[in-house]
Amino acid sequence: MAESLILIEHDRQQVKRSSLHAITLAQQLGGEYALLVLGDGLGGMSASLVSYGACAVVVADDPLLAESLADRYATVIAEAARQHNAKNILGTSSTFSKDVLPRAAALLDAPMVSDVVAIEEIDGSISYRRPINAGSMFAMIKVDGDRRVLTVRATAFEPPAANAAPCPIKRFEFDAASLPNCMRFISREERRSDRPDLTEARVVVSGGRPLKDKETFERLVGGLADMLGGAIGATRAAVDAGMAPNDYQIGQTGKVVAPELYIALGISGAIQHLAGIKDSRIIVAINKDPDAPIFQIATYGLVGDLHQIVPQLIESIRRG
Amino acid sequence: MKILVPFKSVPDPNDATVAGAAVSTPKSVINPFDEIAIEEALRIRERGEATEIVGATIGAPAVDEQIRAALAMGVDRAIRIDDSRALDPYAVARILRAVVEIEAPHLVIMGKQAVDDDSNQVGQMLAGLLSWPQATFVSKIEFLDNKAHARCTRETDAGLEVVEVYLPAIITTDLRLNEPRYVSLPGLMKARRKQIEILTCDQLGVTVRPLTTVLSVARPPKRGAGTRVESVEELITKLKQEAKVL
Amino acid sequence: MDFAWSDQQRELLDAVGRFASQQLNYNVIENDRDGVFNHDAWKKCGGFGIQGLPVPTEYGGLGLDPLTTVAALERLGYACKDNGLLFSINAHLWTAVTPLVYNGSEAQKKKYLPGLCNGALIGGNAMSEPNSGSDAFSLTTTAIKKGSRYILNGSKIFVTNGPVADLLVVFATVDKTRGPDGISAFLVEKNSPGMNVARKLEKMGVRTSPMAEVFFENCEVPEENLLGKEGGGAFLFTRSMTWERGCILASAVGSMQRLLETCIRYANERKQGSQSIGKFQLVASKIVDMKLRVQSSRHMLYHYAWLSGHRKSVYLESAMTKLHISDSWVKCCEDAIQIHGGYGYMTEYEVERELRDAIASKLYSGTSEIQRNIVASMLGL
Repeated sequence: MAESLILIEHDRQQVKRSSLHAITLAQQLGGEYALLVLGDGLGGMSASLVSYGACAVVVADDPLLAESLADRYATVIAEAARQHNAKNILGTSSTFSKDVLPRAAALLDAPMVSDVVAIEEIDGSISYRRPINAGSMFAMIKVDGDRRVLTVRATAFEPPAANAAPCPIKRFEFDAASLPNCMRFISREERRSDRPDLTEARVVVSGGRPLKDKETFERLVGGLADMLGGAIGATRAAVDAGMAPNDYQIGQTGKVVAPELYIALGISGAIQHLAGIKDSRIIVAINKDPDAPIFQIATYGLVGDLHQIVPQLIESIRRG
Repeated sequence: MKILVPFKSVPDPNDATVAGAAVSTPKSVINPFDEIAIEEALRIRERGEATEIVGATIGAPAVDEQIRAALAMGVDRAIRIDDSRALDPYAVARILRAVVEIEAPHLVIMGKQAVDDDSNQVGQMLAGLLSWPQATFVSKIEFLDNKAHARCTRETDAGLEVVEVYLPAIITTDLRLNEPRYVSLPGLMKARRKQIEILTCDQLGVTVRPLTTVLSVARPPKRGAGTRVESVEELITKLKQEAKVL
Repeated sequence: MDFAWSDQQRELLDAVGRFASQQLNYNVIENDRDGVFNHDAWKKCGGFGIQGLPVPTEYGGLGLDPLTTVAALERLGYACKDNGLLFSINAHLWTAVTPLVYNGSEAQKKKYLPGLCNGALIGGNAMSEPNSGSDAFSLTTTAIKKGSRYILNGSKIFVTNGPVADLLVVFATVDKTRGPDGISAFLVEKNSPGMNVARKLEKMGVRTSPMAEVFFENCEVPEENLLGKEGGGAFLFTRSMTWERGCILASAVGSMQRLLETCIRYANERKQGSQSIGKFQLVASKIVDMKLRVQSSRHMLYHYAWLSGHRKSVYLESAMTKLHISDSWVKCCEDAIQIHGGYGYMTEYEVERELRDAIASKLYSGTSEIQRNIVASMLGL
């Protein structure tokens, strides 16, 4: 039994820290909460989740769940929610949770609210605040019904403290043979990087179309990011032009980041991109065009040719 | 193979000079991700792998303009579910399930999210309701085994993933799947002779009960205006001393 | 009098505007500088349906009435900054396509119109010669019948689309002694033996529209390529010229509208002495005059097209329309440069190019002087 059930994400090796932020929403909603992990060979990961104040870490561990195929995962998640009589099924917004949670919601005949950034009590019930129109507006949503599925925007909730007394780890029993079987995982292409995760980094350096090509992008954007120990991001235009891989994309349909320092190189500031960076503490914009919209939200704006400026910046930082 | 392409009419994301400004009569367009879905269906047909493309949308008569644009791109016929209420994604999914049950397509392909609502739920919910396989955020589609499966490349937070789904299936499109063709005048002319079927939720046997309600919508507080710096030195000094972030 | 567009017309015009603004406005500054014809954009326009707007549907066109046609061209001019591309399209439409529609045999129409409509074929005409411009019918290119062929000899100048044309409507005389009654029109395909498209001509404006001199040295043209009747060339020319005068500057009305909006925006944003320059009466007055010119040009254009669609005589109106729009366009461009000050003179701001493009409009399809002669004679002077 748990008021909230939180879906924790991992990359088959370790827990994705941003997925823990949903715990904070569960704490705000009140009541007991359980953490749910699905996968194959989850011993180590489950152990790392016991101190977040949950009533239990519920583990669905089976070779059939080795890959996050939505049909199987949604079935297990829905079953776990029913068994625990959970009213709130939570997750942190990511391509993983976006793939499986809406399907689980349908299986549970429950409504879903995506990308919650805050909750508020209005007229005796909880309302959820979420971005719409590429984050240019925010809507306050009321949800009816016994049960709801919610995803949170990681940058809007603090990570939970890991200082509670350890909770039990429970194995979730389900009938593996009756899992759906109409999807098959074939392969993945992921680069392991020494750089910090884009959604967790303290500093993000991002590049747009003016970076010309992959080599220049890596040299300037990568060079500056490495000098600052940061992660690399890109605009849609840069990804479309092949300068950066899709997982660097920041914006309305890519990742949302809120680092301490966001440096935008050759980025004009289209609404769709700003949607992904507006909560950054400090935004620095370097652009040749003095009228670029990015200067309207940048904390510090420097007008000039990034091909001249960025090498100077890298050098100045290196010299300390 | 019959393909069903559900699409949504949204305010033109390129129109507002100020983001989200309440424009009195904003121009509407086909949701850009759904346009990509329509384009993909057309290309699948042009390769000889599909025989019929049916469009479906929910809305008041005003959205007929977007329906005609879809027909002008090359969709064969379209269904409009006449409903001007604000529907949440789950309601939309339930309505689309009824349409799928009538039309019996082999493939449903639609945008991953609507650029006004940004929920990214409908395709997945529809798949759950139908118990069909799903492939979301797809950037490449290939049919195998005489169209028994679709091999799809998906864009994820970590990079790319390839999955295979048995048909019938739901596919949601991501940005880089294709670049949609523009509506041509000959297409526009041909579209005038194509059929638009109007249905209601009653006829579909779907009762829409609003489970989520929008209480209010507001602009977020603006970020304070920043300052211009004149040189790299000045920037670094400010980042170190003022912002204390370096 | 109903000045409203129908829903269908509005839908069509919106589609034209969206297509043009998204697909045709790239590399214009560079192409203008280098005199490069944007063949890719031409093909896109063909696929979109521009080159076949007024052509009957059975030959691959859209069968639009004159009013919808000119409105579509106006919208095209508004949304597309490449005046040279538009000039090539207009030359193609009014000097090749239209004569073929009105005078072609069934076989000729079936052979050439589909390709001319969908962008596959580029058309143009060859009328002017080094010694005959305004005095068109004093041309000296000859076409002597020999068996089943005509042999053409002579030289043509100012052949718009010459360097890229697949088909030219060439005017030549079968009998100099008959004067205008000897003039005949021929459909001449590119690479015809004896046809030499010579050097590309460098121009002041509409530089993205290619133009050449064309020489005919015993050029052989099959007799089935005679367009219309032998000796019917002058009549054919006069009739298609009436279309041309009325329609060729439809896109200019759109260009003027765009220029007007650019000037208003600039006058509001540009500040001098702590106020926007639009508040200075001398600047505002110029913009007001631009507005008057755009509006009057537009109404003359629509009136001409309405009359044409209703099969009324338009000889006077087409000359007036061409004269007024060309005068208005050039003046609007001059004013636009003035309003933009120094920036108006810079290539980067794309204002000076408009003037260079507009000046030609007082020269082609009959100079402004010729148009005035026509109007004067129609007034009984």
